[in-house]
Amino acid sequence: MTLRKSKMRVVLFTVLAISVLSLSAFAAEKVTIRVLNYLDASAPGTSRELVEVWQKFEADNPDILVIREDQFNEPFHNKTEAYAAAGKLPEVIYVWPGGRSATLHEKKLLKDITPLLGKDRENFIDAALEPQAGGYLAMVPIGLTASHALFVNHALLEELNLKMPKTYEELKAMVAPLKAAGKDCILVGAQDDWVMQSVLYSMIFGRLVGDEKLQDFADGKAKFTDKVFVDSLKFYEQLFKDGVINRNAMQTPYGEVAALFAAGRAPFMIDGDWKAGAFLLDPTTGQSLLSPAQQEKVEITVFPAIPGEINHNTSSITPAVGYAMSAAVKKNSREEKAAWRLIEWLNSAEVQKVRLETGAAFPTRKGVTSDKLEPLANERAGFYGRIGGTAVLDNVLAPEICIPINIGLQEIGLGLATPAEVAKNVQDAYNRRAKK
Amino acid sequence: MKMLRTRKEERRAYLLLVLPAVLLYFAVVAFPMVFSIWMSVSDYSGGQIFGGSTPVKLIGFSNYSRMWNDKYFWISLKNNVFIVLISVFGQIPLGFVLAYAINRGRVRAKGFYQTIIYLPCVISSVIVGILWQTIFSPYGPVTELMQRSIPGWENNLLSNPRTAIIPVLLVMLWMYTGTYFIIFLANLQKIDQQVLEAARIDGATEGQTLRYVILPALSGVIVTSAILAISGSLKSFDLIYAMTGGNPARRTSVLALYMYDTAFRGAPNYPLANAVSTFMMAFSFLLIIITKLVEKRFGGREE
Repeated sequence: MTLRKSKMRVVLFTVLAISVLSLSAFAAEKVTIRVLNYLDASAPGTSRELVEVWQKFEADNPDILVIREDQFNEPFHNKTEAYAAAGKLPEVIYVWPGGRSATLHEKKLLKDITPLLGKDRENFIDAALEPQAGGYLAMVPIGLTASHALFVNHALLEELNLKMPKTYEELKAMVAPLKAAGKDCILVGAQDDWVMQSVLYSMIFGRLVGDEKLQDFADGKAKFTDKVFVDSLKFYEQLFKDGVINRNAMQTPYGEVAALFAAGRAPFMIDGDWKAGAFLLDPTTGQSLLSPAQQEKVEITVFPAIPGEINHNTSSITPAVGYAMSAAVKKNSREEKAAWRLIEWLNSAEVQKVRLETGAAFPTRKGVTSDKLEPLANERAGFYGRIGGTAVLDNVLAPEICIPINIGLQEIGLGLATPAEVAKNVQDAYNRRAKK
Repeated sequence: MKMLRTRKEERRAYLLLVLPAVLLYFAVVAFPMVFSIWMSVSDYSGGQIFGGSTPVKLIGFSNYSRMWNDKYFWISLKNNVFIVLISVFGQIPLGFVLAYAINRGRVRAKGFYQTIIYLPCVISSVIVGILWQTIFSPYGPVTELMQRSIPGWENNLLSNPRTAIIPVLLVMLWMYTGTYFIIFLANLQKIDQQVLEAARIDGATEGQTLRYVILPALSGVIVTSAILAISGSLKSFDLIYAMTGGNPARRTSVLALYMYDTAFRGAPNYPLANAVSTFMMAFSFLLIIITKLVEKRFGGREE
């Protein structure tokens, strides 16, 4: 009996030892990397992104365990700030070149990827290799983006016997007939306060003031109370006074505006060029907000000529977002290798092609094209060649300065503040920051 | 000698039972509160608090002064006061009236109404927020219905700074009344039926029974509900965050959202956010003290 018991103990111990050893060996092989990812779960291209980008990476790299956290819009930025504050950034994180990710860049919480990128940098366009707000290359953007694009529903214009306006005056003249037809002129989903600055005002500032002067504002060589800045806000205010943009834009949720445009609520919509993706086919449901035939009748262009503009036919353009690595990841560690393998994959030609087809981003890698583009994705690809570019404000100015601009633009639109008052608030914010 | 040992044992047992709870309380309530107050008077700007490259300094009450001079703080505080008012003078009375009507058998299909009234409380506030955001959208069903009766009517409810908070208050009334309804219904059912019967035999009318029997019996419950309503109102966040995000132009913001924006949106300012949270704590205490004083003066007759 005792012998049997002791034999049993030996067997049990052996089994336990084998399992512990095999488990530890397995654990030693797998490297875990956490990713904070930006993903619009409601976008039609999301299922392709999940399957062809993320699941494929996991299948091809069984030695890497990716723990991905998907967030969208404001919650994403809030989570980023919370991670930064706690000093617990994930190994891989989706970042903006400045603006909303300024904390990460300015506090050098991201790794300089220049040594890791090596010769692969030759495969990217020059604009993608510009250092970000931290003064070094923390990521290679997965695409270029125009934060301002005017989407035009030509079918609706034809139905209402209206012509595409070339100047602001012509656009203003369309407000009355559109109102008579029960339509708005331009839709903007600006309930979130970043929207007006990013998709509209940056373009207005670029047209009326320009990048050189913007840098003067950022460096303190010019004051936000200067006439040029106030005048640009005055033009923005005029859009509401003329009825070109309805103040209801400020209570239109950002995610709702594409559906409203597709439903023909207005012939124009202002948003970032990324919004093109919202109209494309969702392969999981086989449905799209606009059919390919309807997409043929939609043009992506920029706002008509503004009186007094110094830059013509421009949008606000920025090398877009990309994936960066936390500076806390140790050099030459297994985590660094795994994280870099993921980032390389996310910047690969294969992934950029998927993103081009889903309308998520326009490639920064040279030579990436596709013969499977839907009409609107094609239109977007051609859009960049037809326009000039100026900076997006929140990519250049510090967040402390952008916040009063963002809120101020909403207040001007709602008639709660004058351009001069907003300009003063912005200058006060600049002074407070300069004092620090 | 034996007595002494028993007392010692008693004390040890007492400490053994109480200490874990006290330690837990200090760890998760008292310490964060004190830490938050400390942070509100510091210049902490993220990263390591102790032993970091830039040591954290105490800078006095400048964050409180900045908060005091920020118009968005006052807008948020005003909205919080509106929410407290709609909770205390809207949700509680309405919850009581509905519970009273059902308890006194004024309606048929009690179970059905109980479910309907309580249902909003069990739905996630984020879903409720998005649902009502769509309903009140300028292109949503409210607009369409109104435009059918008044052609050309424009829905400026949320974009008009004076009315922007009204839809939020309505949704809060709709959503949380059920909580007080259930509390009142449970307590109404506890009232001794013989007392009510005796009042009726003595010739008391329905109003007199309510005034002299039921309301005094429920005074403690009313105060507890008021405390719950006040503390809940000051914490309001999720519903508003999902419904309006505090916009347009921060006109529907509340203190919790203002604190959140300060801490995590754009340019994080943790000391200022902690100053807001300290203020919220003090304000909450003040309102609860007022409620207790009111109860002392007018209530406490349930026995």
